[in-house]
Amino acid sequence: MDVLNNLAFGFSHALTPENLLYCATGCVVGTLVGLLPGLGPLATISLLLPLTYSIPTGGALIMLAGIYYGAQYGDSVSAITMKIPHASSIVACIDGYQMTLKGKTGLALFTAGVSSFIGGTVAIVVLALFAPLLGDIALKFGPTDYCALMLFGFVCVSFVTTGSLLNGLAMCLLGVLLGQVGSDLETGLERFTFGLPSLVDGVSLVSLALGCFGIAEITKNLDAREERTPFNGKIKLMPTWPEFKRIIPSALRGSVVGSFLGILPGGGPVIAQFAAYGIDKKVSKYKDEIGQGAIEGVAGQAAADEAAARTSFIPLMSIGIPENAVMALMMAAFIIKGIQPGPNMIAKHPDLFWGLVASMWVGNCFLLLLNVPLVRFWLSVFKIPYNVLFPSILFFCCVGTFSINNSLHDIYTTAAFGLIGYIMMRLAFDPAPLMLGFILGPMLEEYFRRSMLLSRGSFLTFFTHPISATLLSLLALFIGWQVFTTVKGWRAAAAAGKAQPASS
Amino acid sequence: MLNQNVARGAFLAAVALFFASNALRYPIGDLAHAGPGLFPLLICIPLLIIAGAIVLQARLAEPVPLQFNPRNIALIMASLVGFVIASEYVNAIAGIVVLVFVAGFAGTNYSWTRNIKVALGLIAVAYVFQHFLGLNLKLL
Repeated sequence: MDVLNNLAFGFSHALTPENLLYCATGCVVGTLVGLLPGLGPLATISLLLPLTYSIPTGGALIMLAGIYYGAQYGDSVSAITMKIPHASSIVACIDGYQMTLKGKTGLALFTAGVSSFIGGTVAIVVLALFAPLLGDIALKFGPTDYCALMLFGFVCVSFVTTGSLLNGLAMCLLGVLLGQVGSDLETGLERFTFGLPSLVDGVSLVSLALGCFGIAEITKNLDAREERTPFNGKIKLMPTWPEFKRIIPSALRGSVVGSFLGILPGGGPVIAQFAAYGIDKKVSKYKDEIGQGAIEGVAGQAAADEAAARTSFIPLMSIGIPENAVMALMMAAFIIKGIQPGPNMIAKHPDLFWGLVASMWVGNCFLLLLNVPLVRFWLSVFKIPYNVLFPSILFFCCVGTFSINNSLHDIYTTAAFGLIGYIMMRLAFDPAPLMLGFILGPMLEEYFRRSMLLSRGSFLTFFTHPISATLLSLLALFIGWQVFTTVKGWRAAAAAGKAQPASS
Repeated sequence: MLNQNVARGAFLAAVALFFASNALRYPIGDLAHAGPGLFPLLICIPLLIIAGAIVLQARLAEPVPLQFNPRNIALIMASLVGFVIASEYVNAIAGIVVLVFVAGFAGTNYSWTRNIKVALGLIAVAYVFQHFLGLNLKLL
């Protein structure tokens, strides 16, 4: 009953005219920007974060959440209609684009919209039930446990987002180092500022995000010099009843898988999509059709995508640790608005927490009622030539950076991170773990120093506390397994190399 | 041809050494009473090990050529720097014009008329930002 009361309380906040407007604006703007080539949810939130500075806290968080879902939906539209995937819509490309080739674009988009709605609804129930529960558990966490949890998150995110543990971890550590720039919290000593006044308060998150995602992405797209053909096919949205019946079981399966995987560190929409797609391929009644444009191939992954996006808020809001780069950026938005996510957030700001949870469902309704029927309008974004778009995006990067401190000089920092982001992109580094490391870096240092102080400098403290000992043991097992498989791969490759000249 | 994998390791090693050498300039303290330099120094150690592992891995794997096109990134950087300088010494309208006309060289084709239209559109957006959202941008 408590949950129902809390949800009713949340809806009373989410359904105010201002918050409804912020939610709708977030969904629409997020969809529009998310549709643009090369701009996934992370880049979209980075670009639009400064828009929320002048908005009241509750409205700003609701709008940001709306931007996130909108960007995800925009992603799936571009994946289904034009096979332009971003990180969060890779699986939508497989069957979604096959359906487009068969002339069933409308059905694919409708399936994605309805499945996202189902996934989002299931996830909100999970979120409302589990976030307060996990918040109570998080109160038992000490500094050593937080350190271990952050390290665990680094390893999981590194492996899941980049596929290479070494590259991902390197980016996380680089992010942690960038987070050290500025005044030391305990002594006030300026670190790595090189006498530059703009670095005394640390590297600006917006400059880092806009540089590494906005500017670097633009340059990468310009290097590719691809001319994209706009989608001009027919769109018939409404399915037949037998088609509609096929959506439900797959969407429900995807919702459960996505809700569960969204909570795990390193989890989130991408891994949930693949898992849901894999399960549908095994258990669906129409499993033989999956991969060739089946409704189930779109429904399951879309539901999982949406469910995981929602439940990934659980660790952020209940423990205060973001589990992926998008959530790290959301955490930064919370902090900018003066809210510290964590076990006390629900108790201290019930209006924000439950308002946000309720607004997720409202956002889902907006996506279903506005975005799905207006899909032809959204696709017209692709008709804008990139030569017109990219100077405009650059201008918005400048305005976004300027709006934080009203300082034109901050744009130099954004430009510098644009260059660094571009170099990293050319070196095949994924900047997503860097964001996580950057945002968690100062917190990791604080908890590490506190742990060491309490234990009088003994590293054994990490192994005498059960939560941190368990997490670090899991971490050691995972890294050991990674080293074993890598060495095994090298040996197999060396053996194959020796066998080849012998056989030839 | 520069091997992308070797370059990746070298980049990380350079970053780790840069931060480590600077961290040593700050008080280190001990583990129980960590100084401002200790934590960054501790982070540099695994980063340096990873850099070494990546270089080692690169020697065992097939080389991958590093592709780097300095033209576009240089133009984008120049457009951003131009925006700041023109906005500071003239006004934001001049900044927008410089941004659009310099960045335009990085596009697939260059058109003066298109640039004028884009610049006018962005000036209109900047006007809306200034008058309706309170953005403190010096337009005139």
